[in-house]
Amino acid sequence: MKRWTWMPVAAAIAAATIGCSSGSQPTGGTATKPGGGKFKVGVSIPAADHGWTAGVKWWADKAASLHPDIEWIIEDAKEPSEQITDLENLQSQGVDALVILATESAPITPIAEKLHEAGILIVNVDRGFTKPVADVFIEGDNKAFGRKSAEYMVQKLNGKGKIVVLEGIPSTVNTDRVAAAMEVFRSHPGIEIVAQDSGYWNREKAEQVMQNILTAHPQIDAIWASDDDMALGVENALRAAGRDKNIWILGGAGMKDIVKRVMDGDPLFPADITYPPSMIAVGIQTAAGILRAGKAEALQYMPKHLMIDVELITPENAKEYYFPESIF
Amino acid sequence: MKRLGVFLQEYGVIVALVALFGVNLLERGTEFLQPEILRNMVSQNAYTGIIAIGMTLVIMTGGIDLSVGSLVALCGAVGIIVLNGVGANEASTTLAIALAGCASLAVGTVAGFLNGFTIAYGRVAPFIVTLAGLAAFRSLALVLGNGGEIRSTVESYKEIGFGGIPIPGLQTAVGDPLIFYWHAILFLLIACFASFLLNRTAFGRHVIAVGANERAAHYSAVNTRRVKVFVYTLTGALTGIAAFTLSAKQNSIGTGSAGLYYELDAIAAVVIGGTSLRGGRGRIWGTVVGVVLLTLITATMTTYRVNTNWQGVVRGAVILIAVLLQRGARAND
Repeated sequence: MKRWTWMPVAAAIAAATIGCSSGSQPTGGTATKPGGGKFKVGVSIPAADHGWTAGVKWWADKAASLHPDIEWIIEDAKEPSEQITDLENLQSQGVDALVILATESAPITPIAEKLHEAGILIVNVDRGFTKPVADVFIEGDNKAFGRKSAEYMVQKLNGKGKIVVLEGIPSTVNTDRVAAAMEVFRSHPGIEIVAQDSGYWNREKAEQVMQNILTAHPQIDAIWASDDDMALGVENALRAAGRDKNIWILGGAGMKDIVKRVMDGDPLFPADITYPPSMIAVGIQTAAGILRAGKAEALQYMPKHLMIDVELITPENAKEYYFPESIF
Repeated sequence: MKRLGVFLQEYGVIVALVALFGVNLLERGTEFLQPEILRNMVSQNAYTGIIAIGMTLVIMTGGIDLSVGSLVALCGAVGIIVLNGVGANEASTTLAIALAGCASLAVGTVAGFLNGFTIAYGRVAPFIVTLAGLAAFRSLALVLGNGGEIRSTVESYKEIGFGGIPIPGLQTAVGDPLIFYWHAILFLLIACFASFLLNRTAFGRHVIAVGANERAAHYSAVNTRRVKVFVYTLTGALTGIAAFTLSAKQNSIGTGSAGLYYELDAIAAVVIGGTSLRGGRGRIWGTVVGVVLLTLITATMTTYRVNTNWQGVVRGAVILIAVLLQRGARAND
């Protein structure tokens, strides 16, 4: 439960909702529908195509196992039409609630709207819908992710240096991060962006892209990689080219391998920024809490939008963010 | 034993379908017979199904079309751009939706024709030509969508995706009339049409002739090139139709993700259905059952709570077993 300290707001809310239920023990086995029987909740998430989504899957399984009194069905999808199929199958199984991390925002919105109209509680995590069809929307603060990481980079470079910007999968998450970071970089004329490209939040793609960038630019001071998988790809490229000195990488998301290296004072990884995949667990906890308390009652006070703060991990505080048993 | 072999060769896919169905009934009882679930079984993969019908004909000529998945994204992207352009004016939304459908169909047809023309007249292997298409069509879609999704601004567009014909007397779990979706209706109609084309027309015999022995077909005065151009063009057109209904259901198109792996699903359905990858032999109804079987596999894994990480293994095994049953039987011939 230590990890909840990252998300004080959400944790407080989740705790409050559970507190309203008949049993405040998560394993109480007391949650039953008004008509009797177990609640059934579907969790629909993207397939694990990179470390972060693998972390989402891990946290989803873990969080669901804390509530054996509810029947959980966890499905993952490679792309939107597969996710729509999953959601329809879950509906036909009679779920009371759905926790959805969309593969993509717009394509999942119409089906989410239909499911919401059919009376299913919708908790949306991370990638938002394009219309307000979720009962609760939980996301990380991606603008803060971009801003805080860029500010750190500018500060560490003393406002002067040549940097590379790597972007992720085209999505609102990526757009918010990059736009916020670029705003910071542009306001410092000493910062020169020598290259900007997409590594799709993927280690191999980031390595390829970085190899090409390295051959084109003899002088690079730092890489804003925006993701820990990409950061590791960049590191491979740097080592292969013998350019791993006097250069550093800023990833993002708080992968345990990177956090460990920040903690150990590795010069390549002076810092990292959190974007916890455990936010899916917050979604699961929230759905469970709302169902236990009674949907109509709980929704009277549940905020429709919860924003999880992101934090800079430095050697000083890295210990608090290091979870060796986590998959990510 | 031999008769069993022949039976499996012919109807192995139906045996598999019935078996999987039974497995679901065991776990979920008659609840699994809800009309809604049965409806979903036909409609969920109808997009790939529509494409798989064309793919059946392509494979029967001894070819393959790997470009269909990417083409879904391209057709959908052009369709939505047209939709948003024409539909900007409130009064013309119906026209906009119709034109979006036409645009999607047109792009698919042209792309399919280009595939077929290059294969037939450029004498390049279908695998190579459509592999190029797989790369190029996706890339064009990404250019149009600036790498992301293109959202429709016409809210009523999604009614094409969720609309259809109500099935008299049947209701969903929450008591709404049960709607048989347009894309599922199209899937079945197109299957009937293709089945007629294949079994009752000279063109159908030509498709079989080209696939069985191209040179012999050529000497028998079959215009083999025209047959090839036609099957790829038809597949392209069907892909355009699938893209139209899919983008309507999502009221948008993800240019990076729409249609991803559809070529593989379509090929899997065709092969499971008993069409030979070597060409010359195939059947439309087998493909239809193959599509439903793929959907049923997914549903079964949901039923049994198979950890999603394992689902690919199960899917692969079912595909392999279905084909081995038919293959093994054939060896006995």
